[in-house]
Amino acid sequence: MSALLELQGLNSFYGPVQVHFELSLEVRQGQIVCLLGGNASGKSTTMKSILGLQRPRSGSIRFDGADITGLPTPRIIRRGIGSVPEARRLFPAMTVRENLLMGAYARSDKPGIAADEARVLALFPRLAERLAQRAGTMSGGEQQMLAMARALMGRPKLICMDEPTMGLSPLFVDRVLELIQAINREGVTVFMVEQNASLALAIAHHGYVLQAGRIALQGAAGDLLQDHRIRDAYLGGAATG
Amino acid sequence: MSAWFDYTVNGFVIGNIYALLAVGLALIYGVANLVNFAHGSVYVVGAYIGWAAITHLGTPLPLTLLCVVVVCALVGVAIERIGLRALQGSSRIAPLLATIGIGLVLDQVVQLVWSPDPRAVPMQVPEWRIAIGGGTIGALDLLIAGIGCSSAAVLYGFLRFTKLGWAVRATAQDSDAAQQMGVDINRVNMAVFAIASVLSGISGLLVGMYYNQINPAMSFEATLKGIVALIIGGLGNVPGAIAGSLILGLTESYGIALFGTSYRNLFAFVLLVAMLLWRPNGLFAPRRAAAPEPMVGTFIARSLPVKLPRWVVPVVLLAAALLPLLNQPYLLQIGANSLMYAMLALSLTLVAGTVGQVSLGHAALLAIGGYASGLLALDAGWPVALAIPAAGLITAGLGTALVWPAFRLTGHYVSIATLGIGEIVSLVILNWTGLTRGAIGLGGIPPLELFGVDLGSVQGTYWLCLVVLVLLALLQLRLLSSHLGRTWRAIRDDSVAARSHGVGEDRYKALAFGYGGFAAGISGAITAHVYSYINHETFGASLSVLALTMVILGGMGNVLGAVLGATLLIALPEAFRALAEYRILIYGVVLLLLIRFRPQGLMGTV
Ligand SMILES: Nc1ncnc2c1ncn2[C@@H]1O[C@H](COP(=O)(O)OP(=O)(O)O)[C@@H](O)[C@H]1O
Ligand SMILES: [Mg+2]
Repeated sequence: MSALLELQGLNSFYGPVQVHFELSLEVRQGQIVCLLGGNASGKSTTMKSILGLQRPRSGSIRFDGADITGLPTPRIIRRGIGSVPEARRLFPAMTVRENLLMGAYARSDKPGIAADEARVLALFPRLAERLAQRAGTMSGGEQQMLAMARALMGRPKLICMDEPTMGLSPLFVDRVLELIQAINREGVTVFMVEQNASLALAIAHHGYVLQAGRIALQGAAGDLLQDHRIRDAYLGGAATG
Repeated sequence: MSAWFDYTVNGFVIGNIYALLAVGLALIYGVANLVNFAHGSVYVVGAYIGWAAITHLGTPLPLTLLCVVVVCALVGVAIERIGLRALQGSSRIAPLLATIGIGLVLDQVVQLVWSPDPRAVPMQVPEWRIAIGGGTIGALDLLIAGIGCSSAAVLYGFLRFTKLGWAVRATAQDSDAAQQMGVDINRVNMAVFAIASVLSGISGLLVGMYYNQINPAMSFEATLKGIVALIIGGLGNVPGAIAGSLILGLTESYGIALFGTSYRNLFAFVLLVAMLLWRPNGLFAPRRAAAPEPMVGTFIARSLPVKLPRWVVPVVLLAAALLPLLNQPYLLQIGANSLMYAMLALSLTLVAGTVGQVSLGHAALLAIGGYASGLLALDAGWPVALAIPAAGLITAGLGTALVWPAFRLTGHYVSIATLGIGEIVSLVILNWTGLTRGAIGLGGIPPLELFGVDLGSVQGTYWLCLVVLVLLALLQLRLLSSHLGRTWRAIRDDSVAARSHGVGEDRYKALAFGYGGFAAGISGAITAHVYSYINHETFGASLSVLALTMVILGGMGNVLGAVLGATLLIALPEAFRALAEYRILIYGVVLLLLIRFRPQGLMGTV
């Protein structure tokens, strides 16, 4: 399997503060890959770099065989990346349906969009009941589903999710994880950021652990789950959280 | 009874005209988090293009409108593309200041092309009026209402049913998320500026027809009225802007009915300030929520102040002190002018630079100082030497009291509020005839003198200004290096942190405005005695903008920079007297170039 997404030696800064130090990782075609790490370790910054929202000072980002470093965000999205941002970031005053169609903004194939709308609504039946409701008035769990559905509407090759389970009730957490697996089974590669290591590793193929801007540990998800360093550092805290 | 009907129609028509302005401002605020101070200038461009098309080309109404639409759309695109796009990611005040600069430039271009004289716009609709219930409605009233309503309908359709319209709404709600859907924010911004400018231009044309007269100076008032309507409706709220405009139009119209024409703007600005204080999120916000996030944050470009060799300041000072010996009255005149402006710049650099309260109404402090000193000398018979410092103290007190209610505002809101307060001051001066002599102005103000020594000569004025400026500058430097100065900078850099350290912010802001008022009041007082005549327009809003340009040129918060900025902006255009006509155009261009290429100013920010 080849790498769909590849980060090479990223060094990212906010003003004078360095957030990434020679960060490298890859996401293989068809897999679910998770990036773990504590608060402020630089996970969201990794997402922003991939999406072109935050430009690394050095290093390169390759997607689907092309260098996308420094491209403007819309161009990156059009190459086939879908985003489920941290804290969902829906368009609160737009309806569920309008949010979904915004997800297909970069596309112009009307029949394809209609087909995908039906497909996505089949995957998220809860949304089908609420098409005319304003997104901002839904519960946190429903909003998370809408954010995922919206990203799928762009028919992405890779979907990037920043802490998709954050702030959800345990019931919804399970549901969201199932849906991520379902999305992946449909052939979409998933790159997700999580603080909750045990949950993420349970569905992922591969994992990276970010610590203060550096990859501290990586490996197959099953191996990482067994690793005592992960257990000490994350699973203890995550299990009670 | 019939009069009330007419006032209602009039208020509704004016409300429609304001709505065309305010809707664009709301759209722009929505996608770019920016209050566009160039908006009224586009309105003037629209008015003049319409006038030119009718008078030179003899176009019928539909063609006139088309010309206005095309030209204003291009102007809007140019504003976004040339003026603002490069400023994404710079400090938050930068785009706002840039729109002020763009407005200056547009106004000046209009003046240079069509002269500052008023023009009469030929009426392009029939002159009939129909009588309804005792009042009348004219064809033009109907045209304006029709254009207002159909613009609203077209806009609604655009936002609701087109892809670009969706992108506009999505960007307004969350521009980061919109980008992650593949929306090209630059295209959205450009489209919004084009649409807003078209609406603004049409509004200008209609106003020209309604009042049968246009002049380049109407831009400032148009910007302000649009902003008032915007604030009533809530920043970024498009339907709110329409409602706010109608409310403003009717309020003004009934206000005129009750109190007379000269009170019209007073109503508008009192409404503005009241809204900012009590309902900063507009009439239609669900509750009195905190100001939206994009309005706060660091407001100046950081840099290290430029270090001069130790000998420079004493040598320049000595040269300045000896300048009168050259016996060049014209040079001295310029020098004295520069010094008076430098006092104003000192005051503003403290308030805007050191404390981060970007005031757009600073000229009002000059007006208060000038009137206070003039009236003390004229009506109370005080000696000038006493009247001037007293005017400084009065301005300090009155100025601080006037902005006091605005202390809890931040960011853009401070700028808008100070602008409104400044206008209120000038309107109170105009209307409080008993004290200020109203529109006649204050004449025969005695010349400068110090305990019997006549300083009315150019040399005398120059020396006095130099001494006062040096004293003020030393005092300000002393303050900046004290504990007070550190607290001021803490307020600017991070209000939240300053508050949590138990800084009683209001008290420190009051001290800043107090000192600023004192310096500006002295400057205004000296100016009054030098001019011997002032009126409510002597210290107008354009002076506030000029002062801000000086401060930015020198470097925000920088004392030497303020003096340098004032001297350069006053003296340089004089040095090239052939350019006198282009003076304000040059100010505008300087302001734009600075914001783009050297936001920290010549001397660096402190
Ligand atoms: N826009 C920003 N400006 C300045 N610093 C930031 C910004 N965003 C994040 N940071 C800082 O960068 C570090 C990494 O942040 P982030 O990538 O959001 O971490 P995570 O998602 O792992 O919690 C943190 O110390 C954070 O404070
Ligand atoms: Mg994060």
